[in-house]
Amino acid sequence: MSAEEDLADVNRVLAGEAQAFEGIVRRWQGPLVNMAWRYCRDRGRAEDMAQEAFLRAWRGLAGWRRESSFSTWLFALAANVFRSELQRFPAVNVPLEDVAEPAGPATQHDGLAEKQSHDAVRRGVLALPQRYREPVVLYYFHEMDVGAASRTMGLPEGTVKARLARGRELLRRRFPHLNEQNTPQLSSTLRPKKEVLQ
Amino acid sequence: MKSHVKPETEDAAIDRILAAEEGLIPSSGFLAATMERVREEAACPKPIPFPWMRALPGIVLVVAVLGWCGFEMARASLRSAREISLAQPHWTAVSAHALEPAGWVAFALAVPMLSWILSRRLAGRSGLL
Repeated sequence: MSAEEDLADVNRVLAGEAQAFEGIVRRWQGPLVNMAWRYCRDRGRAEDMAQEAFLRAWRGLAGWRRESSFSTWLFALAANVFRSELQRFPAVNVPLEDVAEPAGPATQHDGLAEKQSHDAVRRGVLALPQRYREPVVLYYFHEMDVGAASRTMGLPEGTVKARLARGRELLRRRFPHLNEQNTPQLSSTLRPKKEVLQ
Repeated sequence: MKSHVKPETEDAAIDRILAAEEGLIPSSGFLAATMERVREEAACPKPIPFPWMRALPGIVLVVAVLGWCGFEMARASLRSAREISLAQPHWTAVSAHALEPAGWVAFALAVPMLSWILSRRLAGRSGLL
């Protein structure tokens, strides 16, 4: 993704060339649909929410003050749209205690059981209370970058870290079998980008 | 006895599951559908701004009338409070001022009537009626 391309397209749109917005949608459709997917786990709804975010971006393009990067502004705007959409129609109404837990640890050859176990954890994220859910969703969406997650949420990093730690603690409590499944080592690509979370 | 597992190790399991999620590819029509909506939005005329300058005299008039009414009501209530006497009710005074509220009722009816006529005239001049 090129910041120069974004800037050039924004300038063209603001000059009255609506078609230039297509470049922005083309570059950011993947990230925004994926972000929306992590908020609701429903493909159709994720695309609807991403489309709404693009429309809001179109309307509010003149409001981008260029103090932060275009991507930061776009993600923050999208997070606001997704949050308000999900407040109107929540993605799940199941409390965390009711999310099905896998029967036991998956063996190395039991791919299906492992997949089910992972799906259960991902559903568990959606069942977290909203104040803990969003930091968890955005932290992993931003490839474990607390700074990026905090900028998207518009909250201080300390607050995001605290909420993230609490969200993960709730998940650990709900899925105690995860510890037994944790045989593969964490690859270097999955390590937190900046700091180890407490 | 259950062995204690360090939180870092426990977090590693969660990290492994949540970070290694496969990306979702937007459907083929997503870009076209989004741009269609953007074009619709771009084609819509801009909303008409509220005519503050034309409305200003009316707003000033309403504020003045309400202020005057408030002032008169406060003055009347102070006057009646001074006249209250628990020992001797002023029945004669009440009957003497029986027509006073009727005037206020007529005034209260006339204000919205004038406002309605004025708004119809303005709307007719603008071609809205």
